[in-house]
Amino acid sequence: MSIAPEIRYRFMKDIGAPLVMGMAGLKGKRKAAIKRDIPLGPPLKCSKRLKEIMTRHYFLSRYAEGARPVAWVTSGAPVELLRAFDFYTVYPENHGALCGAQKLGPELCSIAEGHGYNQDLCSYARIDIGVCLSGKTPVGRLPRPDILFASNNICQTVMYWYRVLAHHWKIPLMVFDTPFNFVSLDRSAITYMVRQFEEMIPELERISGRKFSEKKFKEVLRLGKSSAMAWGEVLATMKTVPSPMTIFDAFVHLAPIVSLRGLPVTLEYYNVLLSELKDRVSKGIGAIVNERKRLMWDNIAIWYKIRDFSRLFAERGMNFVTATYTNAWAETISYMDERNPMESLAKAYSLVILNNNLDHRLKLMERLIKEYQVDGLVIHSARSCKPYSVGQYDLKRLLMERLAVPSVVIEADITDFRAYSEEQTTTRLEAFFENIEDGG
Amino acid sequence: MKGWVIGIDVGSLTTDAVIMDEDKRVLSFSIVDTGYNSTDAAREAMTVAAGRAGLELEDVSRLVATGYGRAAVPEANKRVTEIACHAAGAVYLFPDTEMVIDIGGQDSKVIKVGKDGRVQDFVMNDKCAAGTGRFLEVMSAKLKIPLDGMGDISISARGEAAISSVCTVFAESEVVSLVARNCPKEEIVKGIHRSVVNRVWAMTRQLRVSGGVTMTGGVAKNRGVVALMEERVGRRINVPDEPQIVGALGAALFALREK
Amino acid sequence: MHLDLETRTRKDYIREQKSLHGRKVMGVFPAQYPRELLLAMNILPVEIWDPPLRTREASAHLQSYICSVVSLGLELILQGKCSDLDAFLFPHTCDSIQNLASIVNDYLGIHKPCYFFYHPKAPYKRASRPYYISQLKELKSGLEKQFGELRETDLKRSVDRWEEIRKDISKCYLLRSEGRLNTSNRAFYSILRRVEYLHPDDFHPLLTNFLQSGRTETERQGHGVLLSGVLPNPPEVLDHLDAIGVRVVDDDLLSCSRRFLSGPVSNSDPYEAMAETYFSLPPCSTRGSAIEERLNHILKKIRSSRADGVIFLIVKFCEPEFFDVPILADSLKKEGIPVLVLENEINQALSGQIVTRIEAFAEMLG
Ligand code: SF4
Ligand code: SF4
Repeated sequence: MSIAPEIRYRFMKDIGAPLVMGMAGLKGKRKAAIKRDIPLGPPLKCSKRLKEIMTRHYFLSRYAEGARPVAWVTSGAPVELLRAFDFYTVYPENHGALCGAQKLGPELCSIAEGHGYNQDLCSYARIDIGVCLSGKTPVGRLPRPDILFASNNICQTVMYWYRVLAHHWKIPLMVFDTPFNFVSLDRSAITYMVRQFEEMIPELERISGRKFSEKKFKEVLRLGKSSAMAWGEVLATMKTVPSPMTIFDAFVHLAPIVSLRGLPVTLEYYNVLLSELKDRVSKGIGAIVNERKRLMWDNIAIWYKIRDFSRLFAERGMNFVTATYTNAWAETISYMDERNPMESLAKAYSLVILNNNLDHRLKLMERLIKEYQVDGLVIHSARSCKPYSVGQYDLKRLLMERLAVPSVVIEADITDFRAYSEEQTTTRLEAFFENIEDGG
Repeated sequence: MKGWVIGIDVGSLTTDAVIMDEDKRVLSFSIVDTGYNSTDAAREAMTVAAGRAGLELEDVSRLVATGYGRAAVPEANKRVTEIACHAAGAVYLFPDTEMVIDIGGQDSKVIKVGKDGRVQDFVMNDKCAAGTGRFLEVMSAKLKIPLDGMGDISISARGEAAISSVCTVFAESEVVSLVARNCPKEEIVKGIHRSVVNRVWAMTRQLRVSGGVTMTGGVAKNRGVVALMEERVGRRINVPDEPQIVGALGAALFALREK
Repeated sequence: MHLDLETRTRKDYIREQKSLHGRKVMGVFPAQYPRELLLAMNILPVEIWDPPLRTREASAHLQSYICSVVSLGLELILQGKCSDLDAFLFPHTCDSIQNLASIVNDYLGIHKPCYFFYHPKAPYKRASRPYYISQLKELKSGLEKQFGELRETDLKRSVDRWEEIRKDISKCYLLRSEGRLNTSNRAFYSILRRVEYLHPDDFHPLLTNFLQSGRTETERQGHGVLLSGVLPNPPEVLDHLDAIGVRVVDDDLLSCSRRFLSGPVSNSDPYEAMAETYFSLPPCSTRGSAIEERLNHILKKIRSSRADGVIFLIVKFCEPEFFDVPILADSLKKEGIPVLVLENEINQALSGQIVTRIEAFAEMLG
């Protein structure tokens, strides 16, 4: 690794980044001052800090190339291992969500489609392939990866997608294969996963040019685990009535646990967020002005609709207080245990919701519905995401049968709003609102 | 007069015939509705074209059929796909053609052609109607604007309505709600055209052609679509005077080639 | 007893297998699974790829963006057409099959035992092989609870048998690619696809007979293409290629060569032998092979079979295949090989549009 990129990276980290962070915070402030949403409670003070952190992350990524080994990573991959080698990590899914929220989905997807990628493929993948082929991104530039790191614990799709990336960038793809839990996690699967880790270490040493440090690895595990637990506590504050936060906030505040997991900044951030939320709870401040009904969200966010939806529901006194999606990062990462690092890492990552059978999902949702006192369920059937979406119709039926929870299915997509119909959705939601008001 | 040939294109909406002499001169052409019987339509189109050229059908030396109904022309000496015919016809009319965009009633195709007029590669739209003439038809009915008036209306638009759905059914409901919101008609029409053009443009991207572009098929008559397509591909597009008959023209060229 | 395989339905065949041979029958979803193991336990695998049905009930359980292999498979269960089956086996092929498996096992309440088979998605890893073997053994002990003990000698015999059959399948492929098999495209695949439900006792003679009677020394006429994709459907595509004189000379289909054309087996331990078979199969999108590897495999096949072009027959909404196609198609075109990508539902009739595409492609071949 040459010296110049290293120096530039350090410089940017110490001087450049704080500058942009300050600017990002300012922007946020200005907007907040102008626009006050009537049905919503006071905005979270933490949002400014979050914006700074994420801006800094993407800003620094431009200078990471050459200074640190760069990895592109799937959201469910055991990144702790990479952190032990000081990889700079980029999360294409997080980037895809960001593009989705900025309504850039169709534009970037169509670049990939122009190269023959079918319209029905996951739109995170299409966005990312479009970004790779064109260099376009709202964050300026993504650093060229040295390695790709994927785990199929969220879907098989990421494996297909990352193979395309490996071909495009002509770099190695490292796969962490997590056998799907059709029934339960067995010994042979754990052994298989641990062996994979053991195979990865020498390869990561070679690619990064750094030695594996057990000490650092354990530190990362500890940090990762604590951040996941802090995130879990953040979510748990939403059990209070009224809830101090909405799920739409949580979708946004999820970014650090997804893409900066195992770093000190994430733990620090969630501790700050947690104390703000606890403060709200003690003062009885709710995220929406008049919380009459409490809802659960299923599946990934509809990124281009977050703003509209948070208003739409708040106007009716309805607040989303839990989601299977946000819960995913609190649920199993806490299994991590520095005393038995490899095995606990395997468990933490293979027991996630999307790598588990549908019976597990049903029970999880039942538990969340009870714990969070949920009155209704909004199910996003996401065209992009088969593992998350296939089975939702039955889930809807079963939850109604067992807990009499009314629900509605919205056919949409995470980022590609060409697959979204405003009219159809409005009709369905209005029927749902009537239904839920009838119910009590 | 001896040695003349007929090319016939039996499409889902219209059936077109072109009569050509040995020197590749077009003597006449005809366009008739296909209706329910492709064989009858083909006969009618040929008879009309022959009448216009003052020729007797019995004297035709070769007949090549193309289009969806090409199998329904028993008299044909040969059958060729409309892909090959549009390519041949477009290169005949515009020798600089390297890419043909044919937006037809049921489907759209983008064809990459060599200098010799032969097909090098092609893409067609998938099953759904977005990006085809059918999409425009549905929308013209919804907006109560005649199909052939849509082009001129959209040219006059100052703004443009955003229609994002790829699915015809979704897009239709988007149009309905735009109408309900009193969005100016010309802006809606322009948005509809944009949606067709984006779809077809995605297809052209797969072939990556840098040379001359020729548009064929009925939709090429729509000035609004052509203008937006030119904006998208970044260069002027050749448009024949009679874009619908390019398939039949190509078929006639095939008939001559085989003589 | 002579079996008249042409006229009997699959249903009759299954019933007869049960009553005459006392076999159990397992409904198996795509794609890869250790059939040797099932057959050794006197279980007949009947694969569910493309049931001749229309979707009716399945849309209450599956969204419209799920492939027709999965929706028709579920339809078969929902329409009560699986009553003769003793159990289901779901290999972990893709996200859609994975969730289908879970819907059937967890949500439908159909009271039929479900088995699962996970194959490693990183075939190049050292850890993969021992894991694969442990999976075989776990499947075995699971099955034993329902179907009785498996004798090692039966397994050995079954493994050898399947190897013999695979050798003959390879021979069919080889002869066909050399143009020395006198058969239509349709006939070739209708014979080959009988492997999806016939017992080796019936399938093997059928295959050898086909091999012997079809041999010819005359040179291939007309153009040759290689078929890639999931399965050779709709079969009308094959008919149409036959009608216009285009020969399928080789394939890279998931349901065909990608499951059958593995290398020879050297190991005498049956589990090791099964693993050897599995890990020597051609590169495949559902098993985690690099695209480069698959491309080279296809190029090699094109050369050896002197194919003039490649047709990808992709099932609509099939993620594993659709991600590979653009790079494959692009690279093939760069090599001067014409490529046609067709996207369909598995039981969809040939539309005029598809006919046109196929014919225009044939015209391009020269
Ligand atoms: S959206 Fe679904 S399919 Fe796409 S990457 Fe995420 S988990 Fe995989
Ligand atoms: S066709 Fe593709 S998506 Fe469907 S079951 Fe087969 S592999 Fe899975």
